[in-house]
Amino acid sequence: MIDPQLETQLRLLTLQVESWKKLHDLITYGLDKAKPIISSEQERQFTEIRSHLLQETEHIFTELDVLELSGKAMNVLQRAASIRGVRELPNDEVRRLEAEWNGVFTKLGLAQGQLKSRRKHLADQSPFKYYLNRFLKRPVAAH
Amino acid sequence: MGKVPALRLLALLTIVETRLLILNADPVFQDRTLNIVDSMDNVECRIVRSMGEAVTVLLAENFDIFLVEGETAMALDQATNARQHFPSLCIVCLAPLSHRPELITKAEQQKIPLLATDRSTRYLEGQLRRIVRSVGTQSGTPSEGVDPCHSLIGNLNQFSAAEILQMSCLSQRSGRFTFKSGRGNSEIYLQHGSIRHAIFDSLEGEAAVAEIFRWRQGRFFFEEGIISRVQTVDRPWAHLLIDNLQKLDETLELVNF
Repeated sequence: MIDPQLETQLRLLTLQVESWKKLHDLITYGLDKAKPIISSEQERQFTEIRSHLLQETEHIFTELDVLELSGKAMNVLQRAASIRGVRELPNDEVRRLEAEWNGVFTKLGLAQGQLKSRRKHLADQSPFKYYLNRFLKRPVAAH
Repeated sequence: MGKVPALRLLALLTIVETRLLILNADPVFQDRTLNIVDSMDNVECRIVRSMGEAVTVLLAENFDIFLVEGETAMALDQATNARQHFPSLCIVCLAPLSHRPELITKAEQQKIPLLATDRSTRYLEGQLRRIVRSVGTQSGTPSEGVDPCHSLIGNLNQFSAAEILQMSCLSQRSGRFTFKSGRGNSEIYLQHGSIRHAIFDSLEGEAAVAEIFRWRQGRFFFEEGIISRVQTVDRPWAHLLIDNLQKLDETLELVNF
């Protein structure tokens, strides 16, 4: 059985996780002192990903009911204004940035796992079995 | 009792997944088509936001359908571009089509079905299901069919079609190469180190050679001495190689598009 709402949530979450991963790749590149060249193409990609995240984060977090992550996500996006900007951040700011990115990513990863588990559970059931189970598990109404 | 194997076969056929690659620049807010695809059984979909990303994914993995969704002119441009580089792929363009009959003709020339996103969800769902069903019935796992007496057998993961063909042409071979992949089977006939005939699905000649050049997954084998009576390729191997490598470079340039 397919639950359309669950599928939508999973799709949104996958897109969001993908964007956070790409952002992390570019931040990591910026912090790697062994890679001195930051191209304008990389900066363009970074801005593109930031723009997607800035537009979509609030909407997706509301859909997934994880609005508490919004603060951390905005902190990451505000601190990481560009790859060059990230490279020039002081060490404690970098640590804070990484910790906050990790907080958002961990929570999203967990939510993704939970949704996938629900999808797997639903896939094993027919709509009839699903609604029968729900009906049978309903507590008896008190008279 | 006799119906049981038939039912099993039917069940196997119905669980074959159709792989969809969807190009949508704003998949979070423009999600009407995505919602429809989500509700379909046995469909695995991957979403990309740019043409460059789409080309990277198409070069690395096999997809049955490539859906391009967006503003009319841009979506059709992207679909046409993809058609030039992936001639055998099923490409579908989704765009608002009100008052744009000229675009329908343009899409027809490129064999790109156009679906109007400014019509009802029910219409769109019906059209998408029809396309997915029609592709689903064609796709299947490639059969092995490798005979121990074949003179050359291998895997395209290790050697690309270009490398194998170059080697065979340089050693002046005559015979038939069969390539088997998730996209289907194709054959290339060599005669004294020149390509004489190539066929893949509805493509023949140089178009079929160009398609096989892009394959990165699948198996191949060579049967010595089988000559084609049909001749659809009349250019020297070196010219084909240069043209196709140039085309592949152009495809890779789209990654930065």
